[in-house]
Amino acid sequence: MLVADRLTRSFSGVAAVRDASFEIPRGQIVGFLGPNGAGKTTTMRMLSGFLPPSSGRATIAGFDTVDDSFHARRCVGYLTEANPLYPEMRVRSYLAHRATLYAVPRRERSHSVDRALERCRLADVRRKRIGALSKGYRQRVGLAAAILHKPPVLILDEPTSGLDPAQIAETRALLRELAGEHTVLLSTHILPEVERTCDRVIVIARGRIRADDTPADLLERSHPSPPYIVELRPASGDDPRAEPLDIFRAIRGVASAQVERATPDGWRRLLISAAPDAPDLREAFAHAARDHGFLVRELRRESASLEGLFSRLIERAYEGDAAPEEPSP
Amino acid sequence: MSAALALARREFASFFRAGVGWAVLTLFLLLAGAAFAIGTLRPGAPASLRDFFALGHWLMLFIAPAVSMRSLAEETRSGTIEPLMTAPVSDWSIVLGKYLGGAAFLAVLLAPTALYAAVLLSIGGTDAAPMLAGYLGLYLLGALYLAAGTLCSALASSQAAAFLGALFLLLFLRFAAVQGGAAAPAPFDRVLYALAPELRLADFSKGVIDSAHIVFFLAVSGWLLTLAVVALASRRWR
Repeated sequence: MLVADRLTRSFSGVAAVRDASFEIPRGQIVGFLGPNGAGKTTTMRMLSGFLPPSSGRATIAGFDTVDDSFHARRCVGYLTEANPLYPEMRVRSYLAHRATLYAVPRRERSHSVDRALERCRLADVRRKRIGALSKGYRQRVGLAAAILHKPPVLILDEPTSGLDPAQIAETRALLRELAGEHTVLLSTHILPEVERTCDRVIVIARGRIRADDTPADLLERSHPSPPYIVELRPASGDDPRAEPLDIFRAIRGVASAQVERATPDGWRRLLISAAPDAPDLREAFAHAARDHGFLVRELRRESASLEGLFSRLIERAYEGDAAPEEPSP
Repeated sequence: MSAALALARREFASFFRAGVGWAVLTLFLLLAGAAFAIGTLRPGAPASLRDFFALGHWLMLFIAPAVSMRSLAEETRSGTIEPLMTAPVSDWSIVLGKYLGGAAFLAVLLAPTALYAAVLLSIGGTDAAPMLAGYLGLYLLGALYLAAGTLCSALASSQAAAFLGALFLLLFLRFAAVQGGAAAPAPFDRVLYALAPELRLADFSKGVIDSAHIVFFLAVSGWLLTLAVVALASRRWR
């Protein structure tokens, strides 16, 4: 449905995006992740037909974004990052205006505007001037304008930026609803957002694609064996019969153990890493602690997070090409 | 084409929503009214709008850039150019829509001054034909200046830059053609004079509708709009 083939765009000789290639099949909802300035917006602008690529090509529903830009643009609903709107226009007439630009047939225009108003929960403000709306409502107007003409592809540049948590949850629900009918590429900073909403994640940093996988597989790959946390103290008196680190190190499957924190009242927090192929060791830890007379108040396995992975990928990107960018031809 | 008309409609309506339109309208009618009251409506003056049209040229020099300054420059400044240029609308439709919206507003500006013509006709001793020709000339001239303003608006990223750019461009061309024509030797002076819209307007206000003049106004406007399309398209490559 959406294909990027070695997309490259440079501004005055400096490459903002280099050799970005990916393919999004119909109905998939893909998160586009990256720090500010990584090239997300530039990539999305190339896909939406706003910027032509310096080299490489992109197709939307089979239409080339440059050679067949007109058809490609018709197949895209695009929400830009800043979501600029005409403040003096009223919500409904703005949407009607956009519907005309997208050549929605006259007979269906009113119906598709009403449908978009309803889906984005804008019905109660449809007569209001856009300039008088809150940020959350304006964002919904932008989204309504993007889905008006029922495009097969939605490109949403930070649809949740600047919204409060309740509005983010609302937008997420809306996006999940839309995913059924549209192929969606959305960029965001909010990682839990991606884990919950997206089928797939593409990570971009310094203009290059660094990872492209499902959230679960990415986590699996990044964190094959998340560490364990055990917090304990000697059960009776202040004379431990054995050093807890030695006890845990002796358990099969443990790669290393260290004290992360010790409190004055005797509690010690241990961070234990397991060998990559070790089974779940929590039960073994519980037995060992009890057998050696330790009292445990916390025992858990660190859950892998995209956050950690994300920062590692980005760090690597910056270490990897710390050399100055060579100007592209 | 329906996209261009939709854009023209939005552009036209925005003049009245945004306040700038009302300001331009007020200023224009104030100046035009003063010119008519002082220049034409005095004892012994011929019952004709010729003076009004001569002054109209100067008014247009300021009014047309003020009408067109917002068109594309404001879209660039506010970023609405991005949703506009990613809609399935050709660059020609965008420029034409902006231009037609401005041209419609220009017609609204000129319409109340028909009152002056009505006053003169009621006093009598005059002919409606030269007035109609004069209006046609003034409108064509305004449309040409508007096209120049649209070009400047496509190049500029702020309304003020678009206004000043268009004003200086028009002033420069006016002086180059009229003063240059006066200074240039024999064969060249006619070329320069031919390029002065102001002199062609003078013919109209005498009641002469020369098809060469009409072709001139339309061709130059079309050429300026083509340049505006190129300027707009060039944004994609910058």
